[in-house]
Amino acid sequence: MDVIVWAGWLGGLAIGFFVILHFWLMGKPAGCSTGYGNVCGLICKKMQYYREGEYSNPNNTKLWFLIGIPLGGLLSALTSPEPWHITFDMGMYEDILPQSDAAKAIWLMFGGMLLGFGARLAGACTTGHALVGGAMMNPPSLLAGAVFFISAFVTTQLLFFNF
Amino acid sequence: MYKFPLLKSIKLFLISFSFVYRSNFLALLMGLMFGFLMSRAGATTFDYHAKMFLMIDFQLMEVIVTAVIIAMIGVFLLKKFHVRAVTTGAEVDFVKKPYQKGLIAGAMLFGIGWAMTASCPGTVPAMLGEGKLSALFVLGGLLLGTMAYGVLQSFIANNGRIRDTLKEDSCDRP
Repeated sequence: MDVIVWAGWLGGLAIGFFVILHFWLMGKPAGCSTGYGNVCGLICKKMQYYREGEYSNPNNTKLWFLIGIPLGGLLSALTSPEPWHITFDMGMYEDILPQSDAAKAIWLMFGGMLLGFGARLAGACTTGHALVGGAMMNPPSLLAGAVFFISAFVTTQLLFFNF
Repeated sequence: MYKFPLLKSIKLFLISFSFVYRSNFLALLMGLMFGFLMSRAGATTFDYHAKMFLMIDFQLMEVIVTAVIIAMIGVFLLKKFHVRAVTTGAEVDFVKKPYQKGLIAGAMLFGIGWAMTASCPGTVPAMLGEGKLSALFVLGGLLLGTMAYGVLQSFIANNGRIRDTLKEDSCDRP
């Protein structure tokens, strides 16, 4: 599935204005990974941690933000020249990921678990820490953003190069 | 009970409905915009993540640096003119994520996950919308990982008693 990709500066400009617009409309920083806590609270009623505090009302704006994202992806795919279709292709990652489908699924699931657990442990994901936290020049967010990049950089180098 | 004419009652219903749910509706629109922009910026294409970390193509780096600079200027202006938020009516709340225990460990785990799946929590749903079905597994893993953190937290809150961890209202007990 190839979608139209704008030049880097144009995409960055649009996302920067998006962050400002989100601040102005919603009155609080944009964030993605907190919404997954709401989903967990909705799925599992016994999940005590995701039913109290900031998650006490799971049906809040964070959840609706999360619901909107796939619609945006769909819109982007529909406005691209290539017609919308389902794809399993992972581009450059096809060469380094396990070859069988089951092993690939387990690999992706394990990576997803690291993403989910790490995002909660760090407090936010790339959007919350690197993008919005960086814009507010919040020291813990800058630290977290730097560690995100360094860790992902090292892991990618290890994955793509056989020593 | 006094009844309004049909058209007027529909109109009033729509007005009150949109007023009550305006923040959720706006959040949905914002999410739609976010997914669209992530896709257009190339964050939902697997190759760009690999290329950035292999230092072949700095598309995503360019995107995030430009976005942070623009947003920084915007945040500065919003703060300076004390702009009020549309949905809440109060001044924009620049609540900052605090430093929490395990931030560095969590960030390292997150980075490894990022390199393994070439996606982050914000782009996974957008990939699903584009029809990239491999994101479905990442989404499942994401929910499991988030859930594991919740279990860990209630485990700690219960002083390490496994029996009470998944009971309702377990945190209120002494």
